[in-house]
Amino acid sequence: MDTLTKRTARRSGIQAFERVNVCLIALLAILCLAPLLHIASVSLSGSRAILSGEVTLFPVGVNFDAYGKVFQDDSMVRALLLTVLLTAVYTGAAMLLTIFAAYPLSKRLRGRSFFLFVILFTMFFSGGTIPDYLLIRSLHLTNTLGSLILPSLLNPFFLIILVSFLRSLPQGLTEAAAMDGSGHFRTLAKIVLPLSAPALATLSLFYAVGRWNGFMDALMYITNPKLYPIQLKLYQIVANSMTNDPLSMQGDQLVAIMPESIKAASIMFATVPILIVYPWLQKYFISGVMLGSVKE
Amino acid sequence: MSKLAYYRRNWQLYALLVLPLAYFAIFKYGPMYGIVIAFQDFNLFKGVAGSDWVGLDVFREVFGMSSFYKALRNTFLLNLLDLAVSFPAPIVLALLLNELRGKRFKKFAQTTLYLPHFLSWVIIGGIMYQVFATNTGIVNLLLGRLGMAPIPFLTDKYDWLLTYLAVGVWQSAGWGTIIYLAAIAGINKELHEAAAVDGAGRLRRMRSVTLPGIRSTIVVLLVLKIGEIVQIGFDRPYVLGNVSVNDFSEVISTFVYKTGIQTADFSTATAVGLFQAVVGIALLLASNYAAKKIDGHGVV
Amino acid sequence: MGRKAKAKGTIAAAALAGMLLAGCSSSGGDASSGAASQAAGSPAKGEQVTLKVGVFDRGNSPAGYTATDNYWTQYVQEHFGDPNNIKVEFVPIPRTDATDKVNVMMSSGDAPDIVFANTNPLTSYGYAKDGGLMQLGQLIDQYGPNLKTYLGPALERGKFDGVQYAIPGRRVNTGKYENLIRKDWLDKLNLPMPQTTEEVYETLKAFKEKDPGQTGGKAIPLGFSLTAASIEPIVWSFIQDGLTDEQRYTLSENLGYPVLLPGHKEAVQFLNKLYNEGLMSPDFSLDKDEKQLFQDVMTGKVGMYSDNLGNAYNDTPGIAKVLTQNVAGAQLVPVDPYTNNAGKHLKPEYDPTGFYLMIPASSKRGAEAIKYLDWMAQPDVLNTILNGIEGEDYKLVDGLPQRIASEETTKRMYNAGDIAMITQGQDFGSDEKNWEAAAASVPEPFRKDVVDAYKMSMTDTINYANFTTPIEAENKYIPALQDKYNELIVKSIMAKPQDFDKTYDGLMKDYMASGGDAIEKERKEAYKAMAQ
Repeated sequence: MDTLTKRTARRSGIQAFERVNVCLIALLAILCLAPLLHIASVSLSGSRAILSGEVTLFPVGVNFDAYGKVFQDDSMVRALLLTVLLTAVYTGAAMLLTIFAAYPLSKRLRGRSFFLFVILFTMFFSGGTIPDYLLIRSLHLTNTLGSLILPSLLNPFFLIILVSFLRSLPQGLTEAAAMDGSGHFRTLAKIVLPLSAPALATLSLFYAVGRWNGFMDALMYITNPKLYPIQLKLYQIVANSMTNDPLSMQGDQLVAIMPESIKAASIMFATVPILIVYPWLQKYFISGVMLGSVKE
Repeated sequence: MSKLAYYRRNWQLYALLVLPLAYFAIFKYGPMYGIVIAFQDFNLFKGVAGSDWVGLDVFREVFGMSSFYKALRNTFLLNLLDLAVSFPAPIVLALLLNELRGKRFKKFAQTTLYLPHFLSWVIIGGIMYQVFATNTGIVNLLLGRLGMAPIPFLTDKYDWLLTYLAVGVWQSAGWGTIIYLAAIAGINKELHEAAAVDGAGRLRRMRSVTLPGIRSTIVVLLVLKIGEIVQIGFDRPYVLGNVSVNDFSEVISTFVYKTGIQTADFSTATAVGLFQAVVGIALLLASNYAAKKIDGHGVV
Repeated sequence: MGRKAKAKGTIAAAALAGMLLAGCSSSGGDASSGAASQAAGSPAKGEQVTLKVGVFDRGNSPAGYTATDNYWTQYVQEHFGDPNNIKVEFVPIPRTDATDKVNVMMSSGDAPDIVFANTNPLTSYGYAKDGGLMQLGQLIDQYGPNLKTYLGPALERGKFDGVQYAIPGRRVNTGKYENLIRKDWLDKLNLPMPQTTEEVYETLKAFKEKDPGQTGGKAIPLGFSLTAASIEPIVWSFIQDGLTDEQRYTLSENLGYPVLLPGHKEAVQFLNKLYNEGLMSPDFSLDKDEKQLFQDVMTGKVGMYSDNLGNAYNDTPGIAKVLTQNVAGAQLVPVDPYTNNAGKHLKPEYDPTGFYLMIPASSKRGAEAIKYLDWMAQPDVLNTILNGIEGEDYKLVDGLPQRIASEETTKRMYNAGDIAMITQGQDFGSDEKNWEAAAASVPEPFRKDVVDAYKMSMTDTINYANFTTPIEAENKYIPALQDKYNELIVKSIMAKPQDFDKTYDGLMKDYMASGGDAIEKERKEAYKAMAQ
């Protein structure tokens, strides 16, 4: 067989692979997109069509009433703004602490193994949620945003990621800086951090998504409705309909049940803002995170 | 270098560690005294200080419960299945994504594959039924169109296992590729080129260049995952499980929820938690040791 | 990634923590110190005090309102708070997690002065036993004359061991369930209304085979869900006639299911038969909130089903209304067909009590709390809260209030029922009048059906047999037993017919071992003590 046919055969083989691959990924992408499309469609459909199960991937009887209702609801808008603020502050503080911890631990520091053990141990062993609650209460953090920020300020797993990333940076740069008499603070701020932008962006998103979607801590620590984050509101809206409550259905005791379209609109309302953040950070993602051994 | 000189030169590094360590001391180690509840007959209104000590009675009671063993078995079962299916899924997906040539399509694919991660389990639970119901679920309607009998995805315990795994992969595989893609991006381009010159095909290069390039990432994640094999998140089995499949869907976390919340038996719940933590640490150390043997270095 | 972060915030952990935090809060060392000192704590004139009142937050407040700041909270402040120099502050209790949340509040000393979680006396009993509740007898004597009159005998049920620890709200309509059938399907097949359980079976079979609704084989002859509303009407109807008092007391439990009474197994076997012959909802075990059932009914797939009384015809979710819009000529009517061995239509009835209101032992506002409830118990105040302002929100037709359909009224009345915490429903003097009033709140074409349904809900009823003193074992085991019961129901119904006995008996054994035995034993002792 001459080389030409061999090459052609390989090229067509590559193309076949390429095609199969594209189709496969496209199929998976559709599977991932479908549920969100469904929710979006429900949020835009008329209630009769929803109840009779006609709405699947496209809205039926398009209208924006549900969104009108959601946006008119001051408590929803307030919760959203509050959550934006909360997520921003939390992400900033968490990143700061993660950097503070990761930089020294990426160096050949005396006592490093001990510090690492102390930190990683908490991934697998904790006092439990009850003592956690008692602690928050004795620190007078209940019903403050502090209770939603401080207790989960540093994630050991993310710390490992950042440590690995920092260790993968060329050591020559920081050593050269040290030679020039630059202190560690200066080296970190001027040389290391700018080089770490991809990792920092990725971890920020990890932290931000976690904070945005979390609500169990709010369920425990927050009773003031003015401090409800958006996911707690959402949980109440979605889960309330799951409670079978005969008492609410007593003839003249009627309680309006949240229409499906408003539920769906609320889900969109609470999910879209965090989705928007993502494409904005995406360019950093490809080179973002490295994970390897943190031990030398 | 003398000790003094060492610390003088590096004090700033230690200073940086002060805040993070203070955080761990206060918020992570501070509450650990709470595990003593496992050794008490804990009374809600008396608190830790006022409750009676009962030694290992609580553990004896736990190890005597048949439902505890069922939950423990299911925890291992679901986690092992996850390890076999959900763990490799993002690796394979990352390899496939890496082979995509169209930049725009790649970007689009990545974005959509991450989407499910942004939906909380509460929301997922809400749409499960519409997707998997026996009579009206979308999947079964499609199967029906192909002339197949409906599959009770949610109410037959073996079919439910499939559903559990599939939903887990769906929710997390895309997001999981982030770390692997980054590792792949870090592989030296020259290796690929050299392999191409040697006549290695796409699949061959995936196997002999890309995969070894992300090997250490895989090992680290695997070790951490094995350490967690006795832990299991609450939301997924709770949201997906139901009475008809509780032979498989009842796991440690839901068991703790039921004993802890519903019967207000906090000592039992804490004892199970402690047991989980101890087994978890043991497994972590064992797998770390194994990783060291295989890979030359462990995680911690 | 972030698996770790996610695992942390699990529901279990949160709820657990919630309940637990208790530990620290032994604020009420002299918890049971009694009412007198509290009453004496009334402030000097001129000094405004704050009364904290719990209110359900169902997450359904209309725009501009919150559960704690709305038309009725303003009304309360204006008509009760200001004249008495009391600032009434409402504290939200999320409806979904009410019991857990109240546990948190109670044990951490953060509970409002008037707090409630559910309609189960066991919750109050648990707190009272641990010294967490204020004794109310004296306070009610002093400040609650209207309250006493309004609640009448219901008040007795808030006494544990003879001491008033809770104020049970009143429940006006004690009918519990309704059974509904598609009359147009019967007519199409020339079938009569089923009058016995056997006829129900024949009817369901005809629904399946002849598909009068032309559903294309998707008909669900009997709609069913994993809720008391589906289970109770059928299992109770199988309970044998002529139960002795001893049987009623010793073989029931607080769950309300007649699991130990003769006839229960036959009931489940009947459902097993229906399931295996494809006569009932295939995925009922997933439907824990009737949502799927409602959807199936509204889209015209269901021939027969049971539900909480009044639900089918109410404006929301508007089951009958939507059904008639979806399916031309559909007629959903009440029916009372299930019969026991003596031909009686046995069915359960509610206790005449609603939510159990409590005042924490640590509260300093016991007197004000009772004054508030007493104010609300005045007939004109209660009438206003339940119906709104005459002319604006309702008009009187034949002496019964009929709601005016307006956006403002809907908005205003959305949580009126939750504000009027001392009652479930309004009492117009007689059952007939109360039924008419219930009917008046639904659209015209369904009014007769509502009256029929209410009437049927009260034929051959049986009351839960509960002791005046709570059963300790129920306090401990009931939550776990609810799960065990669901498992018993689901797995027995879904078993192959030949495996039914094995499955049912095995699960029953498990049920008894998980607390059923302990409850039965304690109930037997309590019965012996009571009989003496």
